[in-house]
Amino acid sequence: MKIIVPVKTNPDLQMVRIKNRQPVLEAVPYILGDLDKNAVEAALQLQAEAGDTQVIALTLNQGNRKIKDTMKEALAMGADEAYIVTDDALVDTDQAGKALAIAKAIETIGGADVIIFGEGSHDGYSGQVGPRVAELLGVPEIGFARKLTPGGPGIQAERSMGDFIEVLEAPLPIVITVASEINEPRIPTLMNIMKAGKKPSTDWTLADLGLEAADVAPKNKILSNLAEEQDRKNIMLEGDVNAQVAALIDALTREGVLEA
Amino acid sequence: MADILVYSDSLNTAKELAFKGKEFAAALGMGISAAALGADADETAAQLGAFGADRVFVSKDAALEGLQTDVVSDALAKIAKEADATYVMVGSTRRGKELAGRLAQKLGAGAVTDVNSVELEDGKLVAARFKFGGATVARETVDTDIKVFAVMPKAFEIEDPVAGAGTVVTPDLSLTPSAVKLVETKPKEGAAVNLDAADRLVCIGRGLGAKDDLTIVEAFCTALGGELGCTKSLCDWEWLAENRLVGLSGAKTKPSLYISLGISGQVQHTVGISSSKVIVAVNKDDKALIFNHADYGIVGDIYDVIPVLTEAVKGK
Amino acid sequence: MEKVDVIVVGGGLAGLSAAYGLAAEGLEVILIERGDYSGAKNVTGGRLYVSPIRNMYPELWEDAPFERPVTREFITLMGEGNSTTIEFAADKFAAQPYQSYTVLRATFDLWLSEQVMEKGGMVIVKQRVDDLIKEGDKVIGIRAGEDEIGADITIIAEGVLGLVANKAGLRELPSWKDHAVGFKETLELPKEVIDNRWHLAPDEGAAHLFMGGVTKGMLGGGFLYTNKESISLGIVLGMKDAKERVDKIDIYTLLDDFKANPTIAPLVADGELVEYSAHVISEAGLSGIPQLWGDGYLMTGDAAGLALNQLYTVRGMDFAVASGYYAAQAIIEGKKQNDLDAVGPAYEKMMKESWVLKDFETAKNILHFIENPRIFSHYPNAVGRLFDRVFTLNDQPTDSIYTKVMSSVKKDFMNVTTAKELLGMRKI
Ligand SMILES: Cc1cc2nc3c(=O)[nH]c(=O)nc-3n(C[C@H](O)[C@H](O)[C@H](O)COP(=O)(O)OP(=O)(O)OC[C@H]3O[C@@H](n4cnc5c(N)ncnc54)[C@H](O)[C@@H]3O)c2cc1C
Ligand SMILES: Cc1cc2nc3c(=O)[nH]c(=O)nc-3n(C[C@H](O)[C@H](O)[C@H](O)COP(=O)(O)OP(=O)(O)OC[C@H]3O[C@@H](n4cnc5c(N)ncnc54)[C@H](O)[C@@H]3O)c2cc1C
Ligand SMILES: Nc1ncnc2c1ncn2[C@@H]1O[C@H](COP(=O)(O)O)[C@@H](O)[C@H]1O
Repeated sequence: MKIIVPVKTNPDLQMVRIKNRQPVLEAVPYILGDLDKNAVEAALQLQAEAGDTQVIALTLNQGNRKIKDTMKEALAMGADEAYIVTDDALVDTDQAGKALAIAKAIETIGGADVIIFGEGSHDGYSGQVGPRVAELLGVPEIGFARKLTPGGPGIQAERSMGDFIEVLEAPLPIVITVASEINEPRIPTLMNIMKAGKKPSTDWTLADLGLEAADVAPKNKILSNLAEEQDRKNIMLEGDVNAQVAALIDALTREGVLEA
Repeated sequence: MADILVYSDSLNTAKELAFKGKEFAAALGMGISAAALGADADETAAQLGAFGADRVFVSKDAALEGLQTDVVSDALAKIAKEADATYVMVGSTRRGKELAGRLAQKLGAGAVTDVNSVELEDGKLVAARFKFGGATVARETVDTDIKVFAVMPKAFEIEDPVAGAGTVVTPDLSLTPSAVKLVETKPKEGAAVNLDAADRLVCIGRGLGAKDDLTIVEAFCTALGGELGCTKSLCDWEWLAENRLVGLSGAKTKPSLYISLGISGQVQHTVGISSSKVIVAVNKDDKALIFNHADYGIVGDIYDVIPVLTEAVKGK
Repeated sequence: MEKVDVIVVGGGLAGLSAAYGLAAEGLEVILIERGDYSGAKNVTGGRLYVSPIRNMYPELWEDAPFERPVTREFITLMGEGNSTTIEFAADKFAAQPYQSYTVLRATFDLWLSEQVMEKGGMVIVKQRVDDLIKEGDKVIGIRAGEDEIGADITIIAEGVLGLVANKAGLRELPSWKDHAVGFKETLELPKEVIDNRWHLAPDEGAAHLFMGGVTKGMLGGGFLYTNKESISLGIVLGMKDAKERVDKIDIYTLLDDFKANPTIAPLVADGELVEYSAHVISEAGLSGIPQLWGDGYLMTGDAAGLALNQLYTVRGMDFAVASGYYAAQAIIEGKKQNDLDAVGPAYEKMMKESWVLKDFETAKNILHFIENPRIFSHYPNAVGRLFDRVFTLNDQPTDSIYTKVMSSVKKDFMNVTTAKELLGMRKI
């Protein structure tokens, strides 16, 4: 079996600060998205269960200067091979453009039996890319998977729809997007990090996929991207627990949210 | 005539879209149509007509059973063409969010998902959604001929239904059944809650050491007369049901009093509490981010603080 | 067991400097850093003396992401209810080559780690070295979690706490009494505001040190360095004094009091807090330097006690870079000669013959000198009293300036204790 996991590397959101309502992205290091790590882990677990399976991590570089290093994390987790598509046109593309490039890359790699996405990227969380790729490849798709098992006609999946759980079955090839509850991504060991450097990693540009910049031109226009103004009192209550709680009750009563 | 087409697998959300969609349509000089798909389509159609849809496209095609994304997106793409839709608004429920990407791809359209609000500006609909995990709000337009928006449930308020029903249209969709088969549905435990409506909300995070300790937190909620919410990990571990999740992937709440217990304050959570009137945070780490979002902060161990708080709020 | 030429434990400046030198010569080197990135948690006041290390990796410093060159020095003595500031600017400080720069470690260390990788060195982050592997007395590699990796030489660059080296029995942990604790905030301010507040030409920087009231008379001082668009503001405090006074003063409030002081408040006004950090510093000087090498390993940087508190400044980064450089040179030479036993002695020799250990020799007495609490309480107040008299005018007949100065000097400076202290100063 061949599993391809498209992963996005994005600025470490915990290091993104807001200044004058604008996110400051300068000098913020890139990391592998949380949900994309869940996707890699899901692929590795399928590999372990199904045996004789190749796991490929694929990324479109959207402005990460150190993409190779970031992708090493996917290889260190256990992916067998990496494909990296770098092109200026990809930096500001949107979900439609990314889906097209990913679908072409999958075809260029020679197709896959299972393609596993995160339910959404860490910074954008639009959740469009997976379903769009399914459409481009003309394959069925299961979103928000919380459990995957090889079997039935191809694969069995459970997904949570909020109030209830659906158990689904589908033949391969298929596109899956996974929710964070599916697993706890493994933390690579030192030895695996060292080995990751020696695993095959292929660099492509859009031209290698038979695409031009115009093909991935964004269809959406972002008019503004600002933090909302927040004005909180930030009062820290001092003293021991009893004093803190007493002061809190007093304050909340004055605020009118507790009754006297 | 160009139309705004609305659809959601959740009837309530579909009504919201039809109701607000009609307002936009009127301002844009467009019509408003709706899609009702699946076994109970007739009943849905009547409701959507009552909430504003001029036309309702109805299909009870057997292939729609289970509402798999490939089939529903196929159906909607065909309806959008027939309705000459400029905007397609679907509900950003789980199914709807998944649907939006595939539908947009079929239509060669740009799409915006998880839309929190839509405004009309210079003859265009502008969608606002969170970015960077909720740290910012991006306002986007879509430039393709057809534009797909997946709008969050409850983004639009509905008023009473308007009298009258839409014209029912029965398109010929010739749908192919999905390769994805529903094997079974299993209920999830956890009573129904409505965090959006809660006036007092207590949220618990990973500061809680063990599932059993939830009883301490629940006792506090009872004493306060508040609802219980939580951060994502607690749902992932199935300590609490998903409908108690507050934040980017859960409820966006607006209580008058919000109290966080053992929560670090990462943006994906705080985005769900920013409309609270008063925010209180308890965390043992005085550098925790949550204190930046709080009106009142208590540095302390929740296991020490909760019992004292529980006593103090009784009858308040 | 997988084996490489060199393993470096810790990716601060000492470790990165060593790894850079080794990688540049084509040796197989792995550096292991437990933080999310090199520099993520490293604490420094913020001034790197480049002059001493300029010739070590000359190509590196050209593009290094320094913040500002320090062209202006300020010292403020904080007395009770007053403060005296000396501003010093010399033409030579304001011209290339600059002797020192302010730096932000998060940027600087991350950049250096990229340079190491560019030279082919492997920098592995988010991994903690748990232990050294020994064969008899010889260090033959490291253990991290389940994994073991062997190396010809292991470079210990783990910083001041020295837990790994201690666990392997390579060194005693120095007493807490020989440490200072430093805490620091980074406050963001627009470029022009910084230029104005410290009288700087564009792209020039200031170092501002504070004594006296800032530590409430305890051993230590305050520092303030200007970065491009932020200032680093902090306090260094002798642990012994801090502990002994701990019931009276909560040391964590010192920084807030410092910022609220009327002399400082206008300097830091509107600064947006973007980072807070705290760390310990060795104050033991020469006596805190352990054996610099043993069979299979070298010690560098803070892990080797190479930090110096010189009253007006804390130095450690230049020592870290230099010790890493010499460690790399010694190993490269040993590999060339195919004589690894010569590496340790060669390293020690380079360290002794260079300014590194000589500066520690010179600074030996400063530590006794600064242990004198009068430096941190009496003198800042005395200087303040002096100027207070000079500048005060009221409805009483005023003394001549000479009388004012002399009466103050007689009282505060012409006494046996001060004379002794002056004599003591000759040694530093
Ligand atoms: C795409 C995406 C969507 C997400 N959506 C959501 C969402 O909708 N809602 C959500 O909540 N999260 C969401 N998350 C997860 C989010 O990023 C954080 O991981 C999560 O909010 C952290 O939960 P926490 O604060 O409980 O845990 P932690 O970050 O681990 O914080 C625990 C806190 O508890 C404190 N603590 C520990 N013990 C005690 C004690 N005894 N007493 C007092 N304090 C204590 C600690 O100091 C710490 O600050 C999402 C993530 C992604 C990537
Ligand atoms: C408040 C303060 C102000 C200072 N001001 C100045 C100044 O202005 N100028 C100056 O020159 N010096 C200053 N110093 C001193 C200077 O910061 C240090 O001397 C210097 O950082 C030492 O570098 P190092 O590489 O030896 O150690 P560190 O920078 O401490 O690096 C050690 C690294 O090892 C890692 N590590 C530790 N244990 C392990 C493990 N088991 N496994 C893997 N990794 C590990 C750590 O994460 C860390 O990154 C100051 C220090 C402080 C605290
Ligand atoms: N630049 C990218 N490279 C590879 N995969 C991506 C990229 N962006 C998004 N994806 C994949 O698409 C999923 C959903 O992304 P999004 O639609 O942006 O929320 C992610 O979880 C990834 O699996």
